[in-house]
Amino acid sequence: VLPVRWTRYNPYYLEPEPSREVYRIPVTELTDEQKAAQELKAVRPIKATPSGLTSSVFSDPTVSKFVNMMMEDGDKVLARSIITQTFESMKRKQVEKYHKAPATEKEGIECNPYTIFHQALENCKPIIGLISIQKGGKYYQVPTPLTDSRRRFLAMKWLITECRDNKHRRTHMYEKLSQELLAAFMNEGNVIKRKHDMHKMAEANRAFAHYRWW
Amino acid sequence: MSKMAASSGRALKSFVQGCCGCSSVILPSIARNVILQKPAVTVLARLVCTSSTLQRKNIAAAGPEKYTQEFIKKQIEEFNIGKRHLANMMGEDPETFTQEGIDRAIAYLFPSGLFEKRARPVMKHPDEIFPKQRAVQWGEDGRPFHFLFYTGKQSYYSLMHCLRFIQLLERILALPYCSIEEEYIQRFRRALEVQSKKQKIEPLQYDENEVAFSIGEGRRKTATATATVRDNGSGNITVNGVDYLLYFPVLQDREQLMFPFQFLDRLGKHDMECKVTGGGRSAQAGAIRLATARALLSFITENEVESMRQAGLLTPDPRVKERQKPGQEGARRKFTWNKR
Repeated sequence: VLPVRWTRYNPYYLEPEPSREVYRIPVTELTDEQKAAQELKAVRPIKATPSGLTSSVFSDPTVSKFVNMMMEDGDKVLARSIITQTFESMKRKQVEKYHKAPATEKEGIECNPYTIFHQALENCKPIIGLISIQKGGKYYQVPTPLTDSRRRFLAMKWLITECRDNKHRRTHMYEKLSQELLAAFMNEGNVIKRKHDMHKMAEANRAFAHYRWW
Repeated sequence: MSKMAASSGRALKSFVQGCCGCSSVILPSIARNVILQKPAVTVLARLVCTSSTLQRKNIAAAGPEKYTQEFIKKQIEEFNIGKRHLANMMGEDPETFTQEGIDRAIAYLFPSGLFEKRARPVMKHPDEIFPKQRAVQWGEDGRPFHFLFYTGKQSYYSLMHCLRFIQLLERILALPYCSIEEEYIQRFRRALEVQSKKQKIEPLQYDENEVAFSIGEGRRKTATATATVRDNGSGNITVNGVDYLLYFPVLQDREQLMFPFQFLDRLGKHDMECKVTGGGRSAQAGAIRLATARALLSFITENEVESMRQAGLLTPDPRVKERQKPGQEGARRKFTWNKR
C-alpha cells in the first residue's frame, strides 16, 4: 500500500462552519461569493465538526491547532492544561506589569492572553521559506514563497521546539512558553531570532531562486 | 532523393534522442527536407557514447513515420504526372484514364511472376498508400495551433466554450414549446438534491405532565448514545444516572455536550437525560452530541435545521480506528527496517 493521504469522508463533502455569526447575517447583506457558497452548501453534504471545536466564544481554532501540535501520545488533556496554565501565567504577569506601570503607560499594556498569543504568532510567522532542491548532484537551499497554513505551522513548530529544547530542566513548560510568547509579542526572543535568520538565509541565497521551477 | 533525406533525418532524430541528458528541444515536426543546423552542432559536440543498438531501439520507439502535408502534395502531383505519362504510353486519353487503366498498364509494362499479390508493383493514389495520420497539432516552434490544446480534449472543450453549448441548452429549455426536446436535454442534467430535506425529523412527544420531549440516537466510533431532551427545563444534564460534571471531568467533553444547545441559544431551557455505552471518553461525548442534535430537531424551525447541518452537528462522524495490516506493526507503522 502506497503512503497516500486519504480520509474516511467522500471528497464530495464540504468543511463545516461551527461559528454562529455566519448564520446571523440576513440574506440581503451577503456578497455574491457568499451567496454562491451558500447555494453550494445547500446541495452538498457536510462533514462533522471535530471534537476540538465548538460554536462558543471561548473556542479558538488557532489555539486548537496549537494544542494538537503540542500533544504527545494522544494526551490532549495534558496539552490543554499546559496551554491553560500558560495563559494564566501570561495574564498574571501582564496584570502585575499593569499595576506597577504609571498612569500614562497603562493603556499600552495588553492583558488579554488570547490577543497576545495571536499577535506573538503573527510576529513569529516567516514571510519567505527555504526549500532543498537537488541540482547537479548538490543540494541547494532555494528561497520560496509559503502558503498561509505553512507559515502558521512553522511559527507554532518553532515555538514548541524552542520551549522543549532551550530550557532549564527545572522550569515548567508553561513558564517557558509564557516567557517566549511575551518576548515574541515584543519582537524579541529566540523564535523571532530564528525567523530573522531564515529571512537572512533566503536573502543570501537569492541567486538560487531561479532553480525553483514552480 | 527524398528517401535519402528521410533516412538522414531519421538518423539525426535518433542521435538527438540517444544522447542522454541533452537539453536541446526535440521537435517532432522536423520536415523531411529541412534539417536544422544549430541542434546538429550541439548534438554532435555532445555525442559521446551512442551505440548502434541504442539507435535501433530509438528508431522503433519513435513510432510510425510521420508525413508532412507538403510531402503528400508532392506525391499526389507526381502521381498525376505519372498517370498522364502512362496514358500516353498506352495510347489512351489522359483526361479519362481510370484506376483500372493504371492497373492494366502496370500489369502490362511490369509483368511480375510473384505469387504474393501485395508484393507486385503497384501505382495508386498516395492517399491509399500513405496511411491517414493525424495532422500535427503544433507548428515548427512547438506552439500548438488550437488554444485549448493542453486540455487534452480540445474539440470537446471548444464545443463547450466557443459555441457556448451549455448556454444553448439552457436557452432551449427556457423557450416556449421546449417540452418537445426537454426529455432529451434532461438526460444530460443531473439532479442536485437539497440536502436538508434528507433529515428525518421525529414529531414531538408529550409525557404525562404535558411536557414536550424528544428522543435522539447517536453513534461515534464504538459508542452508542440515546438522549431524551425535555422542554421547560433548567439545563440539567444526566448521563447514565450521574451528573455530567462527574461523568465528564474534562472540559472539552462538557463543551461538546453543550454545543448543540449553545448553537441554538437554548442553554438553560432544556433538560437532558441520556444513556451511553461503549467507546472511550471522547467517543461517548461525540455520540451524545449527535444524539442531542437529532433530538433537538423536533423543537426548531427549518432554517435552524439547515444552519445546524452546515455547522456539522448532524453528520455522523465516519472516522473509525483503521485496521492493522499483515506485515506491519500497526495500521501505518511498519516493522523496524533491517538491512539484512
